[in-house]
Amino acid sequence: MATDDVPGESDRAGRRSEFSLWPASRKNRVRTAVIGIVVVGYAWAAGATEPFSTISLVCVLIPGVVLAAIAVAWPPERIPPPEKLDITGMFYWVIAVAALFEWEASAWKDDSLPWHPSLTDLINPLLGPHIVKSAAILLWILVGWALVRR
Amino acid sequence: MIMSTRAVTIAGFVLVIAAMFLLEFLARRPGSRIPTVGQWLGYLMRPRIGRVLVLLGWWWLGWHYFAR
Repeated sequence: MATDDVPGESDRAGRRSEFSLWPASRKNRVRTAVIGIVVVGYAWAAGATEPFSTISLVCVLIPGVVLAAIAVAWPPERIPPPEKLDITGMFYWVIAVAALFEWEASAWKDDSLPWHPSLTDLINPLLGPHIVKSAAILLWILVGWALVRR
Repeated sequence: MIMSTRAVTIAGFVLVIAAMFLLEFLARRPGSRIPTVGQWLGYLMRPRIGRVLVLLGWWWLGWHYFAR
């Protein structure tokens, strides 16, 4: 047929590896919705914990252990990494990351004096409200999941 | 107006983080030579040790900001 050469939906490179927030089958949709509700509930509960408490440590340990177990025992379909990176393009990132570390290190070296606060000193007060901390924990878990898929 | 040292420090963080968002935006443009965060992290995570270190870094961030 004349259309034999035309790539179909399933032929597109990388299509199988795309992450879908709303999977096709009903069973998968239900599973994704249940996992989503559990993760949001977990983030809400974890956001209510007191810093420097055992429960707050456990709340951070659990996602780490769960994602590590998934990565080792039930690895999801991974998004193929690039074969190589453009050196010039990557260099912009190296400069930005190095600048962030240098700025943070200089604050740390000065013992985070009020006139030179570290990033942690600036972020911690923002994480005070329960909803903000829970949202940050949810984002952290989602980033962890995205990393496991890489 | 002279900025206080604290304001300069905060401005430095804002500038660097804004630059990272700009880089990500530029990386997502068609034909860009700049890799996205996902691409370069994926590249770093190709060897097992890179994968372990990146995931440990992710966990450390959670511990640092949410458990301390």
